Amino acid sequence: MWCHRVAAAVVLASALAAGPSPAAAADPAPLRAVGFATKNGRLNVSVGLQDLFGEAERERLKSGFATRVLVRAALEEASTGEPVAVAVQRAEIVYDIWDEKFGVRTSDGLGVERRAVSPTADEAIWRAAVLFELPMVDLARLRPGAEYVLAVRGDLNPISEDLLIEVRRWLVQPARGQRRLGAGDSFFGSFVSIFVNPRIEDSERQVRFISQPFVLGVAPTPTRQPRPQPGRSR
Amino acid sequence: MLRGMLARAGARLVAAAILLAGARAAVAAGSPDGAVGADTGDANVAGGPSAADAVAFPDPRFGPRYVIEAVRVAGNRKTETSLIVGELAVLGLGPGVSLDASDARVEAARYRLLSLGYFLDVHLSVTRGSKRGSVVLVVNVEERGTLVINELFPATSEATLFWGGADASEMNFLGRGINLGAGFVVSTKPLVPEAHAGLGLRLHVGVPPLGGPNGVGLSVTGLYNDGSEFYRTSGPDSDADPGRFIATRVRRVGGVLTAGKTFTHNLHVTVAFREEQLSATLPALRSQTLPDGTSVPIDFMVQEGASRVGTVAASLDYDTRSDPVLPRSGMRLALSGEVGTWLLGSSYSYVKTVFNGSVYLKMPHGHALGFHLFGGAIEGQAPYFDRFFIGDLDLLLPRRALGINFSTQPAPNFLGTSIAGQRYANYAGRLLIEYAVPIWRHRGWVYGGDAFVAVGVLAMASDDDTLTSPPIDLTGDLGLRLDTYVGVFTVSIANVLSRSSF
Repeated sequence: MWCHRVAAAVVLASALAAGPSPAAAADPAPLRAVGFATKNGRLNVSVGLQDLFGEAERERLKSGFATRVLVRAALEEASTGEPVAVAVQRAEIVYDIWDEKFGVRTSDGLGVERRAVSPTADEAIWRAAVLFELPMVDLARLRPGAEYVLAVRGDLNPISEDLLIEVRRWLVQPARGQRRLGAGDSFFGSFVSIFVNPRIEDSERQVRFISQPFVLGVAPTPTRQPRPQPGRSR
Repeated sequence: MLRGMLARAGARLVAAAILLAGARAAVAAGSPDGAVGADTGDANVAGGPSAADAVAFPDPRFGPRYVIEAVRVAGNRKTETSLIVGELAVLGLGPGVSLDASDARVEAARYRLLSLGYFLDVHLSVTRGSKRGSVVLVVNVEERGTLVINELFPATSEATLFWGGADASEMNFLGRGINLGAGFVVSTKPLVPEAHAGLGLRLHVGVPPLGGPNGVGLSVTGLYNDGSEFYRTSGPDSDADPGRFIATRVRRVGGVLTAGKTFTHNLHVTVAFREEQLSATLPALRSQTLPDGTSVPIDFMVQEGASRVGTVAASLDYDTRSDPVLPRSGMRLALSGEVGTWLLGSSYSYVKTVFNGSVYLKMPHGHALGFHLFGGAIEGQAPYFDRFFIGDLDLLLPRRALGINFSTQPAPNFLGTSIAGQRYANYAGRLLIEYAVPIWRHRGWVYGGDAFVAVGVLAMASDDDTLTSPPIDLTGDLGLRLDTYVGVFTVSIANVLSRSSF
């Protein structure tokens, strides 16, 4: 009797659960053209992530509070996926509501901080969200003839780990003192908290992509590099 | 060469972090980005540069310094301005406060407001004040619907053809953060002799904590139940035939007043007072004929005619789960004690103690291992509805809806013990081990989804039981738990079984 019930339940549950399979959920990162160049014995990369800023984000640049951009890039062997080198660029943009100009500071994580003032949002975004001839790796560490790709992720206003912990606490136990039910609270019941389900991402907006393959010793594929902005110094 | 190897190893760790957080996660786990609480795809996997490490500048201050002249809230057609301003004040943001353009409290305030569940989006900005350096802090909110359906009870069993209902609440009633909820359950007339159709009603009002977000919250719940409970009159314990049961009819009218306070670091304490007026009609047949032909009186576990239940209860709830729906780490420990005493006008004197604990451990590949322990004991003569019920413990049986049972189904008794004879008991325990595997992360309207399998053992007994074997049984579940934009759903074998119990 119970065997039949369990078998019927398995069939029904399976039918109800039929949806996107894990395989279908897989979503490879898109390709984006990246400029590879060799200079002073190093591989430099150039690519723009200005699409981190949509219309709304561009508008909010004038909030008077800091907007943060974090770009992380990893060079890996295309055949094995083995990472070879990484680079990080972080940036902050603050609009001065009295001077009506954008202050921008950027850093590549090596302790060097650059500051600039931009009169327009476009230029501020360019300074913050473009990797321009970013030193990636010593050429000596690359194998001639091997194929490499660059995996890049950009985050707009990423949340710090401390804040993440705090937000998780607030989500479990909101500030109002009212408990929010979790799945375990209903003894595996089928419906809990329908229609209101706040979910908070670890950054406001993200861009991810993988570059076209790059082979050391072969002339890099011509790509359109980010156009340097007037007055930009590196 | 060694230097190159070290550099390569370091790069591997750091790159793994980036890739796990981004592109590779998209391929491996369908997880392009780690949502808060998902604990998969976080950038600090493998010890690489997390967003936290990488985003911080050595000098956190950047940009102009402001002094807040006033706080202005916009976009809140429903939510009271004072409620929003109060949340900012908890973080020290208010008139007279000075802060930098890159002050971390600004972002924290945004997420604190979002976590309330009242808003789709929140943004903070400043406008010029009366003089240079003085600003008006502007909070723009976009409100969202706050109607919550906590529970749905559509089900059927051999004893009751259909019972159904819902439990819903408005989380932000009148825009004041008041939680107003109502629930009902109705049923067809059960097939058990002398049974009546069931009706259960609940009305719940919870007000925001007095004295601000860290104050004491009060809530009142009113209840009305008119339903039957079933007692075996003949046949073996494994027989669910409604004709072998007899029914009582019990009306319950009352309410619970609860005061709760959240202390720092995840500890929530509540104290509750409950008063109920009972009216019980017992059947003419009051004995059970055992399979060997002997007759024993039935313990209905409720006093005939009018009686009262008066209790005081206290509970401690310690919750460090990484996520309320799909936890990957942390724990939740809840301990409660309830005393029914004549001092509160109760006709039933008893002490009920319940412990509920869950511990989650991170496993490789974003998997999670959970241990769930439930234990409870009742000393004294509690009414049947306050005792531990087999359907509430066994995942494979129908549980009670708003406190009313509609099923005669016994435990499956996989181990061939005396568990089938247990329906209401004074002692109960259950240990569940659960393993969860992430299968979705941030796919459109699905925030996340886990496939899970849970297996466990349960036990129930009362003081006066004459047991031929330990009253234990196995239980478990297998299914999917989905955290979506419109709510949390579990599709599982136990869910199907418990709603179609024959």
